[in-house]
Amino acid sequence: MRMKLFLFVLLALFMTAVVVAQEDTEIDSVVTVSPPAPVANLVGVDTPNDNGHSISLSWELSPDDATLGGTVTKYVIMRSESADGPFIVRDTVAAGMTKKADNGVKEIEAEDYFARNTDFYYKLVALAGDLKSESEVFGPVRGVGQWFNTGKWSVVAAVGLFTLVTLFFIRRAKSGAKLYIRPLAGIDAVDEAIGRATEMGKPILYVLGLGTASDIATIASFTILSRVAKKVAEYQTSILVPCYDPIVMTIAQETVKTSYYDAGRPDAYNEDDVFFVTNQQFAYVGAVNGLMIREKPATNFYLGKFYAESLIMAETGSASGAIQIAGTDEVTQIPFFVVACDYTLIGEELYAASAYLGREPVLLGTLKGQDYGKAMVIASILIGIGAALVGWTGYVDLFYVGP
Amino acid sequence: MRKSTMIVTLVVVLLFIASWIFKTMTAPEVDSTFDALTQGFLVTFAAFLTLAIMSFLYQDNPFYKFAEHLYVGVSAAYAMTLGFWSTLVGNLFPRVSETLCGWFQVEFSGQHDWQFLIPPILGILLLMRLSPKGGWISRWALAFIVGTTAGLNLPRFLRSDFIEQISGTFLPLLVDWEGFGHFFSNLSLSASGQFVAILSNFVIVSGVICGLIYFFFSKEHKGAFGSASRYGIWILMITFGASFGYTVMGRISLLVGRLTFLMDDWLGIISG
Amino acid sequence: MSGIGVYISLFLIFGGLVTILVYSIKGRDVDRRIIFAFVFFATATAIYYNIEFKETPTTIVKNVFDRLESLPEGSKVLISFDFDPAMKPEVFPMANAFVRHSLVKKHKLYLMSLWPQGQALMTETIEDVIKVEFPEVVYGEDYVMLGYKAGNEGVLNVIITNFRKMYPSDAHNTNIDSIPLFDDVKSAADMDIIFPIGGGKPGPKEWILFVGDPGQVPMAPGLAAVVAPLIYPYYPRQVIGLLGGVKGAAEYESVLRSKYPRFQDVPAPALSMMGPQTLAHIVILSFIVIGNITFFMKRKKANA
Repeated sequence: MRMKLFLFVLLALFMTAVVVAQEDTEIDSVVTVSPPAPVANLVGVDTPNDNGHSISLSWELSPDDATLGGTVTKYVIMRSESADGPFIVRDTVAAGMTKKADNGVKEIEAEDYFARNTDFYYKLVALAGDLKSESEVFGPVRGVGQWFNTGKWSVVAAVGLFTLVTLFFIRRAKSGAKLYIRPLAGIDAVDEAIGRATEMGKPILYVLGLGTASDIATIASFTILSRVAKKVAEYQTSILVPCYDPIVMTIAQETVKTSYYDAGRPDAYNEDDVFFVTNQQFAYVGAVNGLMIREKPATNFYLGKFYAESLIMAETGSASGAIQIAGTDEVTQIPFFVVACDYTLIGEELYAASAYLGREPVLLGTLKGQDYGKAMVIASILIGIGAALVGWTGYVDLFYVGP
Repeated sequence: MRKSTMIVTLVVVLLFIASWIFKTMTAPEVDSTFDALTQGFLVTFAAFLTLAIMSFLYQDNPFYKFAEHLYVGVSAAYAMTLGFWSTLVGNLFPRVSETLCGWFQVEFSGQHDWQFLIPPILGILLLMRLSPKGGWISRWALAFIVGTTAGLNLPRFLRSDFIEQISGTFLPLLVDWEGFGHFFSNLSLSASGQFVAILSNFVIVSGVICGLIYFFFSKEHKGAFGSASRYGIWILMITFGASFGYTVMGRISLLVGRLTFLMDDWLGIISG
Repeated sequence: MSGIGVYISLFLIFGGLVTILVYSIKGRDVDRRIIFAFVFFATATAIYYNIEFKETPTTIVKNVFDRLESLPEGSKVLISFDFDPAMKPEVFPMANAFVRHSLVKKHKLYLMSLWPQGQALMTETIEDVIKVEFPEVVYGEDYVMLGYKAGNEGVLNVIITNFRKMYPSDAHNTNIDSIPLFDDVKSAADMDIIFPIGGGKPGPKEWILFVGDPGQVPMAPGLAAVVAPLIYPYYPRQVIGLLGGVKGAAEYESVLRSKYPRFQDVPAPALSMMGPQTLAHIVILSFIVIGNITFFMKRKKANA
């Protein structure tokens, strides 16, 4: 019995000691550390140029912010639908930041749904370890969606301006106005190269590349093919067109056939001269290379879309001693053509060559539109350099594109 | 089969087996995924494929063709499998079917989202290409892809490649200018110096303008305009040269990568 | 011993080149396979003897390093593995260097890929670099593998506004909402820096167009050499810096090693590739010089 009483007293003493000790520590912490200062001037505005599911917040740092040498390590953004709460946690940002947008999604059933056109109240909680302090509540503020993103007006202006200029020139070309295009070195060489093939009694090889019938480069190449085929028919030499794409082959056959008719030599047209090879990239290259080595064409044309096969073909052609004329809008392949061919139509020159030879109003008008576009670019750069020199920031801001 | 071809094939097979045995005996035990026999086979097979592809430099041959076709087939199959698991199982099933989710053991999103059925329908339309009669139907899906891609790309390209690039060319032609005296007294070829800064801005601005002039087709390139155009084509050619140089560097890097594999992982003969 | 070997090999290579010069001056053609053999031999020699060169970082690479270095601990870093094994030797060292640098700075790492084969290489990084060199980091808290997603630039167009729509789960099919790393990530615009690594399409260019510019996120692409010249125009406004080919990767590795001695002993593949690279370049340059000499001599003869 005595033993039990003794144990009970001992337990009671122990419990008291524990409680006292705990109270001691609580008192200690209250005495030595005070909560950090809250952030000031919390302001929320509707995020501009968005779908309305966001509010942009900004504030002044707590004087106790970690980046200012204090104890606050992060801020918690809290939101409520009424000034009195309840507040829910929306986001956490690191010390040192003074702005953050509270974004949500538009799907009503989603966890992160952010209601549009609804009044919200915000407060920011500064955290320093376990200690925290709350800012004053800001509100009400509501997110509103905008129809137009005014931050992107410069993109709209550029699209509009170029469309107008291009349409204007297409109309002029259609109405029969004479639009000047300068002669290109590569195109002047075409006739010469065909003449050479005729003298040597060897065929001409025309490669349309790996593009499909909808690629602009391939379309441009068809126009040039029609011109080449016409000359070939007139000079009574022969042309070989190995194709990579069956649809491209069909169009190429029609093109060559029409050219032979135009030249008044339908009888000389041979449908087997325009043929399908394969649509496996390197197998195609192998076949074309074999053709070059066996038939030894006097002139090779590579006009259209080309990829890794460009150098392999151009190198074989160069080794076989043919005159080579290339053109592509694939920037990465141009260097290979430049080193291995006699003439290279660089990028846009391919389209220009096509417009120059074909005189088709849409191509001609587009080319003219692009030319004037380039002139506008040059002018705006020159003004911009002047603006940079004299510090006229208003002009530079015209070209700003928002998020 | 010609006699020489038979001898070469026999030698390759014998070397392959020898390498397999050797690599199996020397396989490190740290790799727990594969046993020694598999490890030996994998390294030997990788080395064989590398050499088979490289043999094309000598001339086209059956080993090269085998390795090339294997590569094309394996990457197509890999892309297809991964596409199935990440797109169909990862993105589609959790949004449309609880049963399928259970089947593939992925978590169901909790609700049926029927708008996600549109992409698979377009996908099936694309597959109609395989049918000789219904091939035209695939054009609807193709039209959707071409149209949306063009629409998505236009504003992005205009922004990043056009407007941002134009305003990026608004460079001050005189950097930190404090008069000629200051300029000449501090003249140096250091990369961070004033002279180099002014020179690079000048090259960028003149290069952009003269490059554009080269591609100006409405006026004959004569006189000052012709000089500017010639300067433009020089700049373009230097760019192509740089691009060519970079390509050579890239190709050599790939060669180094493969040789390191052959000499280190396969033959194990690298010193140091 | 190896010193003598190096000298003998170099003597053979350059002696051979002089022989070819004499041979071609005499008007004989050089078979292309001889050129291949020379490049092969030069590269193999440098690999065998482990010839290394010192690298000093250029400003464009240093900018990338400094930006990652100056970000506060716990910043969000996204690395996209947009490449396949064919591009691996060039760009894989960059990915590993970025991973090492991010983890040593205690940043949060998000790994994804727009190329199917990228996911396998990502796994390699996790197994060989993260798990071996940083055993203390925890999956889901310090790094996450989002894996591959089909859709090219369409994927980017979605994640710039909402990550969860494209990636409802990570590569292990774990719901993204149960991953702590995604607590405060809604879109790719929440990243503090993005490293798109690759050289094809989709690749770094698409990242700049679809994420970097509209989301105003700092971009630092790691590029295969072939496309590096195409990305240069975006510097310095649209990308903070870039790593072009193996040279860029080697510069990054060298600055990482000098700043963090703990990486002195981990492999630096790009740095060790620069030796073979340099020797091969010298051989190629020699062939260009030989070609030009004979070309001008032939032309002179033809004119005379």
